Amino acid sequence: MTNKKILVALAGQPNCGKSTVFNALTGASQHVANYPGVTVEKMSGSYRYNGRTVEVVDLPGTYSLTSYSPEERVSRDFILHEKPSLVVNVTDASNLKRSLYLTFQLLEMEIPLVLNLNMTDMAEQVGVVIDTEGIAEHLGVAVVPTSMKNGQGKKALFNAVAAAAEGGRKAAVRIDYGVMEPFLRDIEKRLADETTMPAFYPARWVAIKLMEGDGETRNLVRADSPRAEHLLRFTERLRGDFESRFNEAPELFIAHRRYREADDIERRYITPGRQAVGTLSDRIDRVVCHRLLGPIILVGVIWILYYLSIVQGYHITNYTWPLLAKIRSLAEAVTPQPGFIEIPMLRALVLWFVDSVNALLNYIPILFILFGLIAILEDSGYMPRMAFIMDRFFSRYGLHGQSTLPMVLGGIYVGGCAVPGVMACKGIPDERSRLATILIIPMLNCLAKVPLYVLLINIYFAAHKAWAMFFISTISLLIALPVSRILTLTILKDKETAPFVMEMPPYHLPTMRGVLGRATERVWLFIRKITTIVAAVAVVLFVLLQFPGINDERQVYYDAKKDKAIADFLSQIEGTPFADDLQGENLMAMILYWKEYKNARMLTKGPEAMSTLNATYKARNPVFFRIVQPGKDKVAKQANRAFKNLYRKRQDLLREIRKERIDNSFLGRLGRWPEPVTRFAGFNWRVNVALLSAFAAKESSVATLGALYEPEEEGEALEARMARGEAGFTSLHALTLMLFMVLYPPCLATSIAVKLQTGSVKWMLFSMAYPMALGLVVAVAVFSGGSALGLTGLQAMIAFYGLALALTVATGLLKEKERYS
Amino acid sequence: MKPIVSAILFMAIVCAVPAAAHTPLCACYNNGDDTVTCEGGFSDGSSAAGVQMRVEDASGKMLIKGKMDANSEFNFKKPDGTYRVIFDAGEGHVIEIDGKDILE
Amino acid sequence: MTLDELKPGGWCQIKRISVRDRLGQRLMDMGLCPGLHLRVVRNAPLEDPMEVEIEGRFISLRHTEARFVEVEGHDQ
Repeated sequence: MTNKKILVALAGQPNCGKSTVFNALTGASQHVANYPGVTVEKMSGSYRYNGRTVEVVDLPGTYSLTSYSPEERVSRDFILHEKPSLVVNVTDASNLKRSLYLTFQLLEMEIPLVLNLNMTDMAEQVGVVIDTEGIAEHLGVAVVPTSMKNGQGKKALFNAVAAAAEGGRKAAVRIDYGVMEPFLRDIEKRLADETTMPAFYPARWVAIKLMEGDGETRNLVRADSPRAEHLLRFTERLRGDFESRFNEAPELFIAHRRYREADDIERRYITPGRQAVGTLSDRIDRVVCHRLLGPIILVGVIWILYYLSIVQGYHITNYTWPLLAKIRSLAEAVTPQPGFIEIPMLRALVLWFVDSVNALLNYIPILFILFGLIAILEDSGYMPRMAFIMDRFFSRYGLHGQSTLPMVLGGIYVGGCAVPGVMACKGIPDERSRLATILIIPMLNCLAKVPLYVLLINIYFAAHKAWAMFFISTISLLIALPVSRILTLTILKDKETAPFVMEMPPYHLPTMRGVLGRATERVWLFIRKITTIVAAVAVVLFVLLQFPGINDERQVYYDAKKDKAIADFLSQIEGTPFADDLQGENLMAMILYWKEYKNARMLTKGPEAMSTLNATYKARNPVFFRIVQPGKDKVAKQANRAFKNLYRKRQDLLREIRKERIDNSFLGRLGRWPEPVTRFAGFNWRVNVALLSAFAAKESSVATLGALYEPEEEGEALEARMARGEAGFTSLHALTLMLFMVLYPPCLATSIAVKLQTGSVKWMLFSMAYPMALGLVVAVAVFSGGSALGLTGLQAMIAFYGLALALTVATGLLKEKERYS
Repeated sequence: MKPIVSAILFMAIVCAVPAAAHTPLCACYNNGDDTVTCEGGFSDGSSAAGVQMRVEDASGKMLIKGKMDANSEFNFKKPDGTYRVIFDAGEGHVIEIDGKDILE
Repeated sequence: MTLDELKPGGWCQIKRISVRDRLGQRLMDMGLCPGLHLRVVRNAPLEDPMEVEIEGRFISLRHTEARFVEVEGHDQ
């Protein structure tokens, strides 16, 4: 017996310091998983005490144990089916009365319970005195006062847990439900007669639940007995009887009784404090929730969020990037070396893979700061205030007050990131709004898209740059809101909604440990779950882009160009002391040396670091170095120029080959087929392929698209180009492309985050599919419509903006169907 | 029917790509012959071709305007006096380099 | 009189919860129990939702939900 592990469940209402207790008990041994089938997090950890291992599961904080929310269902299921040895009920000593509401429900589940009166420091502060022995006797449970924040009472709790696990005594108290008792007895009798439930569940608890009309319990009964319907109908009749006789819905009666009981205990064993706990918070709220100041403060908080995470985060990436770059350099060094224009497959694959993963890892500083700030907002108690201020606006669009933070993270005016935005949707209690929020976040301003917009605006809307930037920054919200409304009216129509009723907890100073802990946890989740899949997909993409590759004929063409470039170079340095050193293989060695030097130089800052770098490279190969840094040596300078020329030609060749390879590849061919459709959006096949290359091949989206849309530098007249049959790329094209990119399907990382948050592949696919459809429809409409009406890009922009604004206002005014009768 | 199907397929694949996490990179070097070369890039390996480059004097007046070429390079004649080079790929992706930090 | 009709300021007593199922349960779970006294603290900047103080806690709820809390005001 003594070597068996003890399983303990931690249960309590929100804001009782339950996580502090959990952390104090389990320390660093925690890990997070998911309860099967739902997206609720399961926190567990363990500790050793008196030679025994105790596993602690931190159940989600809930106010009650009904079956209306997944958190409550999961808590009940755990207690009923995982059969922990005992439950530690964490309560707020400064307001024990309200915590008891949950305590009674736990007691009714007939499991040994330890009542933990936490936050005793707070209770003391307001002058609350509790007769713990009295309560212990009255309820028949061990009572342990603690102030876990200050580390007090921990040992007593360990002892109480150990004792309760040994003793296994079930509580003595039972609430007398007065006039409902005969009804409960009837149900219990039926249960005993017609089902086997009493063998598995506490009969009285089942009876109470059935009188409450609890859905999950009804399911349990159904699962247990073939004659369940008979029993359930009986229960329904009883409920109806009760209500007509006593004029109160049974579930409300039961809740009422619990409060009366709690009241009774308070009268007997608790001396109330001088003042309510929340007065300081209330005073703060007078400012924070003020008509005028409230929204201003909200904007301020959001601004700080952006500033610290995105702006400062990017600064930090300037320091972390070199680390990632080193990994890449390492990859470059260990894979087979490239030839002048030949790149070994393995090398290409490895570098591609490293680049894809680095791209995501590079985000980590930003994500870490973001997650940390979110944890601060959560812990401090400000989040409910955000929801309080914004709820009315958001609920008009089928969203929820708690959608505020996720949307801010996704990018409202400035660029954000959809991944933390989607992950922040965890807290939205209402299923329908939660899904709606998750589905529209990818449409908001993604930071990574900014360079693309800027490029197009600089070319096509240069004269109206400010307006164009304003347009692109705000249009995403004007599209997201109506889309959300439409989604909630159609696809999401039948999803569960939840009451808004929400507690505004006292403000509370977040702990550094808590914040850092959660930030680290979430970053780790990101790496574990998202980066891994993206890496896998990167490999697939590589294959699609590599094959079938350059055919033999073309290879000959490129080889010829290569030979000429090399020959030209060699002739240019003939007669110089370098001519011998750069023959044959040495030339390639020089090229790689030059490349390495350039890469290293890009990351070197400051004169001292620079001279160290130079010294290193000079020592490695003095001859090569002379060419790299010729100084005043005229001959060396000549060689330098010739070499740079050669290097440039190599780059050009590599680029050309890469482009041709992509055009030929499976992925590239894919760009040609949709042309009949995309044509209406102004995308001919070259644009499609460019889009593919730009996004899939990470060939600078900026460059590829720029090259495609920019008027030829060589001064080829527009008429001449049109005569050649090429449609001029106009500002209308640019606008269409920008809009398409706004609505663009979410990046893979976001899609994975959607899958994690919704727990469903179906929704992930939908979240990828509908923006595609919408994007294409909008692109086609804007381009074809704009062309038909002969609008310029700017005019179309204004027209579209007006439409979007009108749609937003219109959908916002739609009346919502009455939720409650 | 086929074009629509392939349009969907096309976009499905295009979307299966990680967002480019651009940390912009840019470094400039004095070539010793009165010209300066700037090289640019992004942390995910994307080239910076097409990104707008500006050279400004101490007062912020624009002296030279151009773009990174196809090789992510931007060459310009070194101005007299103090100057700054700005790599501008949009908000959050801007790098400013002080002329006096540009070494050989 | 119902809770949504009250203006910020006065204390009142809850008489009855006139809705059942999920909302009724939630109102009770959050502490809005008949017999208890509450005070309307404020309305949000956009008018909705509203915040009340009850038994030392602060709860916010939408007016469409407050409609089902029947109250008897003391100093209205």
